[in-house]
Amino acid sequence: MSQRVFITGFGIITSIGKNTAENVQSLLHRRCGFGELNVLDTIHGKTLPACEIKLFNAELCALAGVAEGKGYTRTALLGLIALQEAIQSASLSPAEVQQAGLLSSTTTGGIREFERHFYELMDPTQAGDFVQYTDTANPGEHGERLADAVGIKKYIATLSTACSSSANSIMQGAQLIKHGKLERAICGGTEALSRFTINGFNSLMIVDPQHCRPFDNTRKGLNLGEGAAFVVLEGEDALAKSKKQPLAELKGYGNANDAFHQTASSPEGTGAFNAMRLALDMGGIAPADVDYINAHGTATENNDLSEGFGIQKLFGDTVPLFSSTKPYTGHTLAAAGSIEAVYCLLGLQHRVVWPNLNFNEQMPELSVSPVRELKQNVTLKQMLSNSFGFGGNTSSLLIAAV
Amino acid sequence: MTGNMQYYIQGIGMISPQKTFDNQLFLDEISTYDQNVLTSVVPDFKAYINPIQLRRLSRMLRIGLASATICLRDAGIDKPDGIITATGYGFLDETEKFLREMLELKEKQLTPTHFMQGTYNALAGLEAVTIKCMGYNNTYVSKGFAFENALQDAMMHIAENETAHFLVGSYDEAASVQFIASIREHHYKTEKISNLDLFNTPTLGTIQGEGSAFFDLTGVQTDNTWCVLKDSRMVYRPETTDELAVELRQFLKENDLTLEDVDVWINGITGDATRDARLKELETRELKALPQVRYKHLSGDYCTATSFALWLGASMLKKQHIPDIVKVNGFEMPKEIRTVLSVNHYMDRNYSFQLLHRAV
Repeated sequence: MSQRVFITGFGIITSIGKNTAENVQSLLHRRCGFGELNVLDTIHGKTLPACEIKLFNAELCALAGVAEGKGYTRTALLGLIALQEAIQSASLSPAEVQQAGLLSSTTTGGIREFERHFYELMDPTQAGDFVQYTDTANPGEHGERLADAVGIKKYIATLSTACSSSANSIMQGAQLIKHGKLERAICGGTEALSRFTINGFNSLMIVDPQHCRPFDNTRKGLNLGEGAAFVVLEGEDALAKSKKQPLAELKGYGNANDAFHQTASSPEGTGAFNAMRLALDMGGIAPADVDYINAHGTATENNDLSEGFGIQKLFGDTVPLFSSTKPYTGHTLAAAGSIEAVYCLLGLQHRVVWPNLNFNEQMPELSVSPVRELKQNVTLKQMLSNSFGFGGNTSSLLIAAV
Repeated sequence: MTGNMQYYIQGIGMISPQKTFDNQLFLDEISTYDQNVLTSVVPDFKAYINPIQLRRLSRMLRIGLASATICLRDAGIDKPDGIITATGYGFLDETEKFLREMLELKEKQLTPTHFMQGTYNALAGLEAVTIKCMGYNNTYVSKGFAFENALQDAMMHIAENETAHFLVGSYDEAASVQFIASIREHHYKTEKISNLDLFNTPTLGTIQGEGSAFFDLTGVQTDNTWCVLKDSRMVYRPETTDELAVELRQFLKENDLTLEDVDVWINGITGDATRDARLKELETRELKALPQVRYKHLSGDYCTATSFALWLGASMLKKQHIPDIVKVNGFEMPKEIRTVLSVNHYMDRNYSFQLLHRAV
């Protein structure tokens, strides 16, 4: 029953690049997306900067190759751009796409458009262009729209486990392949900035108006971001037929729950520890054989402490290189898991470890610190990518070189 | 699904617009509604949720948490190996509250309660904290496929470890925001009807429902087993009824069955003259000879309504009884109810089949 699952392509759009090549250049040159908001209209545009993609929806429509006025939300547009790049990167034929599964994820669906047109939508006597956004309060709406846009019919799912969502969509795609339900799955997540999200996180008092500082003793919270990424998973049977060379293997994954608090991680990092341990166990990999961890590292006081303890507990004296790439992209919530999985794959391709920017002062509670400068010519064999979310959700992906 | 693997429903907790929270009853009393919106008949929450927690929770979180508790008690399980929830629109009332506050207060001085309780995975997270379940935890929000995705997820985990127990639940609420926004899509009828007349209306649209249903699924049968969940399949946007019919025959064939083996089929039509067309066609062709039951006049229509059908099917199999209120005219009671087929659709886009057997 169980077959190995490989990664054969990916696509990405973030505040540091509208495709893979642009993301690589920004990562190499320490260019971040953090700054004042001028695409989203919010009173917090100057006071709570974030990592915004500096393209208006009309420009995103052009990039995605769809007409304006057809009801594509920003969430759907970002997703479609990354999805199209992923399909192209894996050289999937239209027939292969049709028979693939699409597993997307989001934390708020099309709430950006819904909040903008809320009063008009709540008055059925009004008519106008806004009518295209009628069903945007539904989180699965974008998933079906993406499937329809690229012609996927076989299997559709949208997941939402807060900030671990797209790690779980990748995991679930792999499960479906392992169990012979699908030969291929395109998995990831998409997230657009919205007033709803900015105000929600701000009300929780975990947004830092300064540039975020993961694992730094002076960290004061996260920066929000927007973006999307999808990876193409193919089973070994499919690859045996097509003779395609995979980019990497998805060797393991773990999903656990911290069961501690609705919006906080346990101080000892139990959920983080369990998710990473499950991923390693599935891959049959000893902790000492992990070369790099792309940490969740949101730069909230709670997350970095909890994750740091979880890492130290699992790896003991042999903690591998680790970094959080959140200062580059901000916290892209549902999309973070797939964006960071793509950054692991890019690290593998370019033989580099991406730096954890803005780290200056060691946390006294931890005995380990993240990678501060770009590390080049690194041989990466096994990498973990962590994603944790509200509701206690913790997930970890084990990506291995082939 | 996976060859001969069987999945057993060991416990159910169901809160819906009918009095379904008491597993001893089976549609003995029927609630009627005349505003096209069906809301839950709820138990005394104090019996299921501790008082401190109860005060803090929204209506829908109470309903969800109570139905999960009813399910676990029914199954005799303290802590399952994993929790998987499914919803179409999530906690939309909470989302609306935060959104309105944000708009009215012009993004100033907001409190996080509604934001937190509006998160789609809030129920799965809350249930995990409540019963200290540190195992697998996931939430699907795929419109009319969310519950089906959740079932499939659990079934794959049980195929890997048949003694594992997975708590699989749905929740959707009859939110006014959805009702109003959906008027433009004619999702709901514009003329007010009595819910019991749903299938006698010739107009567009349906009635809005809600509910939360939890199931304890495992791979081993016990004396407590309600029924076998043999298989589940989704069909997305079939272009023709024939395509749907081919998928249905294929689904049965993969389970070594034909239509003749089905004792009762559950028809998920919604009372919408247009969107019901494919199931109405199946009803008069492939499924014509089979005894039929319907349920959306009792539950209303919502994204995860398949979970109501699963409860109905499991109840018929366990109790070997079919309440008159779900029978379609001319219903001939089979000698024994052994195999139940559910066929559902949501908005003529998301179609799904589930196959249930009597546990023997």
